Amino acid sequence: MTDELRERLARLDPMHSEVPTESVTTKSSRELLEGIMSTSSTEETATDSGRKNPWYIGVAAAAILVVAVGSVLALTGGGDGDPVAQGPPLALDAGADDPMAMCIQFSVEELARAPLAFEGTVTTVDGETVTLDVDEWFKGGDAGQVVLNAPAGMEALIGGIPFEEGGQYLITAYDGTVIYCGFSGPSAPEFRAAFEEAFAA
Amino acid sequence: MSFDQPRRRRFESVAAEVYEPLQRYLRRRVSPDDADDLLGDVLLTVWRRIDDVPVDAPLPWCYGVARRTLSNHRRASRRRLRLVERLESEPSPALLLDPAEMLEDPELADALALLPVADQEILRLWAWEHLEPREIAEALGSTSNAVSLRLTRAKRKLADTMSRQDPPGAGHKEDRHPEEQRQ
Repeated sequence: MTDELRERLARLDPMHSEVPTESVTTKSSRELLEGIMSTSSTEETATDSGRKNPWYIGVAAAAILVVAVGSVLALTGGGDGDPVAQGPPLALDAGADDPMAMCIQFSVEELARAPLAFEGTVTTVDGETVTLDVDEWFKGGDAGQVVLNAPAGMEALIGGIPFEEGGQYLITAYDGTVIYCGFSGPSAPEFRAAFEEAFAA
Repeated sequence: MSFDQPRRRRFESVAAEVYEPLQRYLRRRVSPDDADDLLGDVLLTVWRRIDDVPVDAPLPWCYGVARRTLSNHRRASRRRLRLVERLESEPSPALLLDPAEMLEDPELADALALLPVADQEILRLWAWEHLEPREIAEALGSTSNAVSLRLTRAKRKLADTMSRQDPPGAGHKEDRHPEEQRQ
């Protein structure tokens, strides 16, 4: 009865599936979408409750909260002429995200858009907290230390990155959020070269 | 420079999925011209709130945005009209039934039109947008349980109305309570 009623109602649908609609790929659709995407995306229309982390965060997401407490560790950069890391520590507050989230493909061009990028060495992995001393800021910060606070259960596997004490990592963040999906990870010559290219002054 | 590329790709992917269903949703409820205008408004909100769009099922969430956009549009239209009698005759979505289809099943079309607007809407979301109760709940900002109850009740009312109906064309629309009409 229920299915029958549903079908009977569906037959009253003035926009049933055989009525054509405009495809998202037509010229006017593209113009509409491009026009929309050219507007500011930062205007906040959402309430903060129930916000989800952006899709590109990958396995885990981290919201950066600037923490103005604790001692400031001033470290010199790890490379020639690197900016000196000297600001107050940053805390990255990691939260679990949809593990099926899509990732955009890595490229130097995409990487260059990240407003915050640094290389750091893990000093402690303590349960759900990973602390890094910043070796070099490529862009957007001056903290001497960054703390990743993983949610319970995630422990030291934030964003699928196996953080180990003494290990060196390249980390990017956008709008208070660490960018995983290949945009952050263990430092390796090739990966580091991409950072250098992306953030070349 | 902003770091908008991931947002753009995410939006493109959501837009590809919801673009045509949203057109249908809007054209079922307002005139084609208004539907075209409102589509842009809905998509703009989706763009601005792209971080809030559920990854696994964007469509019901986008219907929720469309519902609120439509509701603002109706409020604005009413303000523009400023005429009480026009306000009273604010086109109900039920009036957008395909006339040809109505002729095929006038009994059901009449019965649907006699239901309170909120009941009509839940039935439309179920039968036209093909949503399940939990998806209707997302679109209406309600809970699955509440929607299941309301849907069951709406179906029963529809069946009761049909069984009570006189032959088609007898004209029972005046039986509808004004407060129901304007819910």
